[in-house]
This record gives sequence, structure tokens and C-alpha cells, in this order.
Amino acid sequence: MKKATPYLLLVPALLFTVFVLVYPLVQNLINSFSDVSMITGRSGWTGFSNYKHVFHDTLFWRSFGNTSVYAVVGTVVALILGLGFALLLNLKLGKITTVMGCLYTVPWIISPVVAGFAWKWLLNDHFGVVNYWLASAGIVKAGTTWLGNPGTALICVMLARIWQFYPFAMVMFLAGLQSIPQEQYEAAAVDGATMVRRFFHITLPNLKTVTSVMLVLGVIWSFNDFNMVFVMTRGGPMNSSMVLPVLVREFSFVQFDLGKGSALSVVIFALLTTLSYLYLKVLARGEST
Amino acid sequence: MKKTLLSIVMIVLALLVLLPVLWTLSTSMKPLSEVNQYPPQWTSSAMSLKPYVDMFFYLPFLTYTLNSLIVACSSTVLTLLFGSLAAFAFSRFTFPGKQVFLLIFLLSQMLPGASVIIPLFQLLQKAELYDTYWGLILVHTAVLLPFVIWLLYGFFQTIPREIEDAALIDGCSRMMALRKIILPLALPGIGATALFSFLGSWNEFFFALILTSSDSTRTIPVGIGLFVGEYLDVWNQMAAAAILFSIPPLILFTLTRKTFIKGLVAGASK
Repeated sequence: MKKATPYLLLVPALLFTVFVLVYPLVQNLINSFSDVSMITGRSGWTGFSNYKHVFHDTLFWRSFGNTSVYAVVGTVVALILGLGFALLLNLKLGKITTVMGCLYTVPWIISPVVAGFAWKWLLNDHFGVVNYWLASAGIVKAGTTWLGNPGTALICVMLARIWQFYPFAMVMFLAGLQSIPQEQYEAAAVDGATMVRRFFHITLPNLKTVTSVMLVLGVIWSFNDFNMVFVMTRGGPMNSSMVLPVLVREFSFVQFDLGKGSALSVVIFALLTTLSYLYLKVLARGEST
Repeated sequence: MKKTLLSIVMIVLALLVLLPVLWTLSTSMKPLSEVNQYPPQWTSSAMSLKPYVDMFFYLPFLTYTLNSLIVACSSTVLTLLFGSLAAFAFSRFTFPGKQVFLLIFLLSQMLPGASVIIPLFQLLQKAELYDTYWGLILVHTAVLLPFVIWLLYGFFQTIPREIEDAALIDGCSRMMALRKIILPLALPGIGATALFSFLGSWNEFFFALILTSSDSTRTIPVGIGLFVGEYLDVWNQMAAAAILFSIPPLILFTLTRKTFIKGLVAGASK
């Protein structure tokens, strides 16, 4: 009885994990090799045909490209911005730093849906303030569409995503900066190293671990991100900003092809497992150095 | 001099960063005629809180708010209940398979929502839980549990075992020790975890969007995310909903900023 206690305590949590992780993953795999209808359910095996449909769909490759750009470029820019803000806050100018630190974190605190809404309205072609300013300055014509234009839609969504993600990088970089031993800077100052040299030879090397962790985490999270794209463009116009998580919904709940949707889900899962493996590797390397 | 200059730079940056939020705030207080006006104005004499009242009557935000509260509160209670039991097992017992179970919970945090949504949808339909509070509550609880277990596990580890051992010698049972000693001592940590859990469910969009289909169960983010562009003519009421919806997260974050950031930094680097 005593021996069973810890297992009994774990039972409820495990049941939930099975319900949301193990069962869906297995069922998803089965679905991806089957003919599945929204109404009647599974009706037999079809081999790899769902996967063939996915890989022969040019929309898949386009979304894959978009998702990669969105995840990698978005994360890199957000990290650079986050580092800039962290350096600024690390100057420690007293009370103003605390207040500004809070304000700079706001984009990350508010819900992604609200963030998407705010950006969509800000970039509105007729009544958005950004367009008005740019038009007044003579940079663009009045009434320029940003989200409705296949050439700019993805960039705009990425901008909103960067806006929402950089505070996380900022908070983590700030913690990293504050844990750098002060003696290193003092020694460098004695040796007469300039500020630029100190930045490249002390600050950056000390932030290496935290940077690699955030790079991988950021790419994983952005790769998974459904909210910003869905709220701002739904993947449009003409699928120019379509990303993989939104495409799963499109295949499954708009085209009602659950088999194809499941096959795509399995592909996403495989991609993310690879990325997660990379994350664990990065963590392990960080611990050993 | 240098300090003044830097302060000015910081304030300008803050304004730039907050631009989307400020613009939404401005829109949320304008009458419709001034929302759809070119050139756009930041302020006007006709500004009022009327859109904040209107959205509850003209848009179904009263129901959405109620739904969000029911789902988020229930998920918080369930995650804390089951999470603390599991965290208690991990922090106070040694048993075969412990590392494997910990790894399962760690990995399930990384799970992409897109790769489980279709089976979950089918399962909830079969169980007649699709488009119900319970369906969404169960899914949110399951999604939030792994991280809650990790947080609580960390907090429980900080409580010295000596107090508990003394109580056990005095004839107190393990479960009584959990209830009477660990839980009260871990209360600040549990509070922070509850906030995380509440916000996680409150802000959740993907599952809430796909697992509900009627106004009577939709949560606020679904209302905002789904209708952006549908009710094009009421941007001011939508903006009011967005602002109102953001207030709980902002307040909760301000209250727990220090604990939250500390936990986050530790969590992501360990």
C-alpha cells in the first residue's frame, strides 16, 4: 500500500496527459494513414495517400517556407531587439528604468489575440494611423493596403510577432547581463579596453548560452504559432501568409479533409520533435560548460 | 546631461512600443463616426466610455466574459488540485520510474497544439463534450498541467523536510502532512501558479476556437479573434473588448512580476 502511494498521486495528472498527449498522437498517426470523414469517422486504410496529397500540394511547400521565414527571421530580429532593450535597461538609471522595464514588457503580457487585433487596426488601410503618417510624409500613397497585399502581409504579421516576442528575450538577456561577474569589466577597464571591445569580448561571450536557448525556444514557439497569423490575415491574401498550424485548420475544418490534416499534423510533429531534440542538446551543452 | 538624453530615448521607445496599444485605447473611446474618419485623430471631444458599455449589449461579450471566467476558474482549480498531488509525489517520494514520469511531463509541454487538435476534436464529439464548458475545461487543464506540476514541484522542493518528518513521527499521515504543512507553507508559490494557470486559460485561443462553435460557449479571445473583420463597422467596440480583456493579465502580471520573472528565468535555463 505504501509503495503504491506515489503512483496513486500521479494517476489524475497522468490520465490528463494520456488524454491530451498519448491518445491524440496515436490516433493522429492512425488517421494519417486512413480515410477519415468529418461525419462518419474512419473508414479504412489508405496507405501513404494522405501524405502524398500533402507533399504534392504546392500550398504545403509555400506554408513551410513561410513558417520557416516567420520562425527564424522573426526570432533573430526579436533577439537583437531584446538585447538592445536589455542593454538600455542595464544602464540602471534609477526609477525610470523600472517603469520603462514594465512598459517594454506590455506587448508580451497582453493576449496574442489582442496583439493581433491592435496591429491589424493600426495597419488599417483607411483609418490606421501608420498609413496616415507614412502618407503625410510622402513615403506611400494614402490608402495603401498592408495586410491585404500578398507582398507585405507576411512581413506585417512577422512585425507583430517580433513586437510580441522581444520582451521575453529582453527579460532573459537582462537576467543574463546581471549575472556577468563585475570583476571581468573592472579588469578590462584597467587594461584600457574600449566600450565596444568590452561588449564583444566580455558581454557577448557571457550571453552565449542564454542566446542559444532562446533562439531554439523562439523558433519552436514561432513555428507553432497559430494566433498571430490567424487573427491578422487567416493566411491570406491568396495564401501569401499561410503557415503550417493555420494550414492544419484549413485542411481539417475548412476543406473537411481530416486525413490530410492529420498527415500534416504528423509532419509538423516530426519537425518539432527534431527542433526539441536540438533544444535539449543546447541545454545539455550549456550545463556542461 | 547624458542621463537626461538616455531618459528621453527610453520614453520615445516606450511610446513607439506602446503605439498599437495606445491606438487601440484611443479607438475604444471614440464614437463610430470618428473611428471611420480620415485623417485619423488621436483624441476628440466626443470621447467617452460608451463603447465599453455598448459591446456588452450589441456584441455578445457579456456571454463571452462569463464563459471565459467559468473556463479559466475551473481549469485553475483542477490544475492546482491534480498538479499539487503529482508535485507532492515527485518531491516527497522516491519510486521506480520517477525520472520517466518527470520526462513525460517535461516533453508534453513542447507539444504542438496542431498535432493533437484533430483527435481531440473527434474525441470530444464522441463524448458529446464538443462545444461545452467541460470539453474546453478538460483540454485546458490537460494542456496547463505539465507546467503547473513543474512550478509546484520547484516550490515544494524549497520546503524543508524536517518539519514534515516531525509531524510524521507525531503520528500525522502523509496526506495530512501535505494538507496541513506543505500546502500552507507553499502558499505564495501556489498563488503564483494559480495566476499562471488562470492566465494560460484566459488567453488561450487555438483550442478554444476549434473546440467551440456557438456563442454560448465561446470565450473572449475567440470572440475577438473570430470577429475581427466580420463586424467591420464596430471597431470601437471591438477595441473596447480588447482593452477590457487585457486588464486582468496586466494587473496580475504587475502584482507577481518579481516571482514570475524569477521562475521564468530559472525554468528556461534549467
